[in-house]
Amino acid sequence: MSELSLERGLAALRAEIDAPVAAFFSSCVRCGLCAQSCPFYLETGDPRYTPILKLEPLRRVWEAEFTLWGRIKRWLGLGQEVSDAMLAEWEPLVYDSCSLCGRCSMVCPVGNDLVYMIRKTREGMVQSGHAPEGLVAASVRAIRTGSPMGLQWKTLAVQIQHVERSTGLTVPVDRAGAEYLVMLSSMEIINFPEYLEAITRIFDHAGVRWTLSTQCFEATNAGIQIGSKDIAAELVERVVVAASALGVSRVISPECGHAFTAIRWEGPNLIGRPYPFRVFHIIEVLDELRRDGRLHTEGKEADRLSMHDPCNLARKSGVIGEQRALMDLVAEHFVDLDEHGRFQWCCGAGGGVSSNERAEPLKLAAFKRKKAQIEAVEPERMVTMCATCRTQLEEGLEEFNMDIPVVGLTEMIAEHLVERPAAEPEPGTESGQPA
Amino acid sequence: MAATQTLAEQLRAQGVSRRGFLKFCAATASLMALPPSLIPRIAEALEAARRPSVIWLSFQECTGCTESLTRSHAPTLEGLIFEAISLDYHHTLQAASGEAAEAARLQAMRDNAGAYLVVVDGSIPGPEANPGYSTVAGHSNHAILMETVEHAAAVIAVGTCAAFGGLPRAAPNPTGARAVMELVDDKPIVNISGCPPIPMAITGVLAHYLTFGRLPELDAYRRPLAFFGESIHDRCYRRPFYDQGLFAESFDDEGARQGWCLYRLGCKGPTTYNACATQRWNGATSWPIEAGHPCLGCSEPAFWDAGGFYQAVSVPPRVNAEALLGAGAAGAALGAGTALAARRFTRHEQQQREPVTVEALEKRL
Repeated sequence: MSELSLERGLAALRAEIDAPVAAFFSSCVRCGLCAQSCPFYLETGDPRYTPILKLEPLRRVWEAEFTLWGRIKRWLGLGQEVSDAMLAEWEPLVYDSCSLCGRCSMVCPVGNDLVYMIRKTREGMVQSGHAPEGLVAASVRAIRTGSPMGLQWKTLAVQIQHVERSTGLTVPVDRAGAEYLVMLSSMEIINFPEYLEAITRIFDHAGVRWTLSTQCFEATNAGIQIGSKDIAAELVERVVVAASALGVSRVISPECGHAFTAIRWEGPNLIGRPYPFRVFHIIEVLDELRRDGRLHTEGKEADRLSMHDPCNLARKSGVIGEQRALMDLVAEHFVDLDEHGRFQWCCGAGGGVSSNERAEPLKLAAFKRKKAQIEAVEPERMVTMCATCRTQLEEGLEEFNMDIPVVGLTEMIAEHLVERPAAEPEPGTESGQPA
Repeated sequence: MAATQTLAEQLRAQGVSRRGFLKFCAATASLMALPPSLIPRIAEALEAARRPSVIWLSFQECTGCTESLTRSHAPTLEGLIFEAISLDYHHTLQAASGEAAEAARLQAMRDNAGAYLVVVDGSIPGPEANPGYSTVAGHSNHAILMETVEHAAAVIAVGTCAAFGGLPRAAPNPTGARAVMELVDDKPIVNISGCPPIPMAITGVLAHYLTFGRLPELDAYRRPLAFFGESIHDRCYRRPFYDQGLFAESFDDEGARQGWCLYRLGCKGPTTYNACATQRWNGATSWPIEAGHPCLGCSEPAFWDAGGFYQAVSVPPRVNAEALLGAGAAGAALGAGTALAARRFTRHEQQQREPVTVEALEKRL
């Protein structure tokens, strides 16, 4: 095993260049619209944060290796080399000022998928040893301990006890033959244990057969954030092994947006084979239960609520109508942010930005875009469905002294469930009159 | 005596009804792309207009422009308004001759200093050329032009020779012929080009001048936009054939008989700006393309030297289907080869690639 080095980084960049990348770089018209779509550029005004500039190392490698003009330039000694110093200079651009939110890919008039290329550029950054310390540490912990925060099953076991005590229900663990395997993120376990409580109650209410796995409970993917397919594949593999061991047909991703992208979209390509199960976000599962008439709610929230769409859920995965249908179930005064759904603005913390201490000021700067959106509709509370987004919203709103609490949609649904007798439900009976 | 009559009186004396006069005004307004609300104003202005003094200078020309104006219509409104100006000097049309003719010119210049219009047809041997190539009453064309325009209100260059040099100026230009606008730079100039120009373009410019007291809007070649704003091609009735790719390939083939597009026979319609396609000629009887002949581009600068009249403006390379397919196949093969090489290169790099291990990462902490 050799050290991470510039040579390895350049080799990784060369290996990442495929037909789409070549087409994208060839078709860039340098219009700069991507800058206008990036919260990091817009809120700092620093032109270095123009998304296409963040791809300069990858672009130089493409030009030098895959274009005739680039080869001639290199032959004449006029080529622009990618040096170690350059990669060091680009590290904050590729990591600190990009949450992989993908808004630039949406607005690019020639259809260049910039976030796809940022993801690829990160492969080279990791290989050359230019990844932020916070993300390196998270990746190491994820591989070594199973959790990027170093969390172990015993911590989750404590939370399970709390949940069981407060609900009077059993949290199923390692139950073979269950329909759903629920994956969690460390952040949900530590900061938002009410999430686990909420799904315990909702699934009990709807008669869903589900389970947790002691073999693997964490499905966030530091490998995706740092941009290493080796790390990412290893982490996905663990989920696949655990799900296969229990024989589940469906896996529920953690609320965390990047976990969903990793396990839902990148996963099969990372491990090189199809899954023996299907992957859903909890919002998709809840909306399916709602459509099937398995969710019975009573009462509605009376205050003015608005919603933050996580980038990975809405923009990248097209889950947009589901959370709104669920909101209608429990909210009387719901108002959408002006730009929402596919064109929503990132909270500023995704893509590894929140695990990277150095990026703290940028993370807060990018949040100002979200803050302005929130100020425009003046909600009394914000609703979201991603632990990272939620933490960022809470911290950001507090920073700007805005008294707007942030709640999770799943928890809000759980609060409005119709109480029913404690008896074990038969799937057919619960659509009848509840007591 | 005529100079004191207004145009309205003149027209009535000629037996033109008020209705006919208003129709002329409406036609002028629409031709000049003026709003209909201006028709009464045109009528009012023309009715009250005193006939302006016009001095017509003919230099190196063929009299075709004058022929076009005087013979193409037996008395029409255009003819009448043309008579309604006070044409004080015109070689071909004036009754006086010899010294009396030149005296008429000098008299008109004196009486209307600063207000008369100068119409020029024909090109002029430039100041550096031998003045003997073209003289009138012993004076060179250049001297007469400079003398006459000195106190003119405006100059109207009629015909391509006056506007751009025309045939006399065609290579090798033995007489050193020049266009009016190359010699006169301190007067408003309107070029009404064409070989010959459309009569209505001349009367339209005159009507505009009489109505508004200024010259109409011009294009980059100082031609009135109302007549030279659109290409022959864009207004050609054979345009649908061009759009369908139906071309006459010779003057007596099936395409020519079917009236298909004459582009490949050298039609300069796409590069020529004039009103032939809408105004047509000889009282709107026909026009060159309708008669089956390509446009020569006579209203454009240097049209004599702009390649052969029967050479198409530009033609796609005439390659046969096999060559085209061959070139396509060669291109595809080249592209596929390049793609294959790039893919092999990438695959090689991917195989060479070392996976990132947690141990390697740990060393970075």
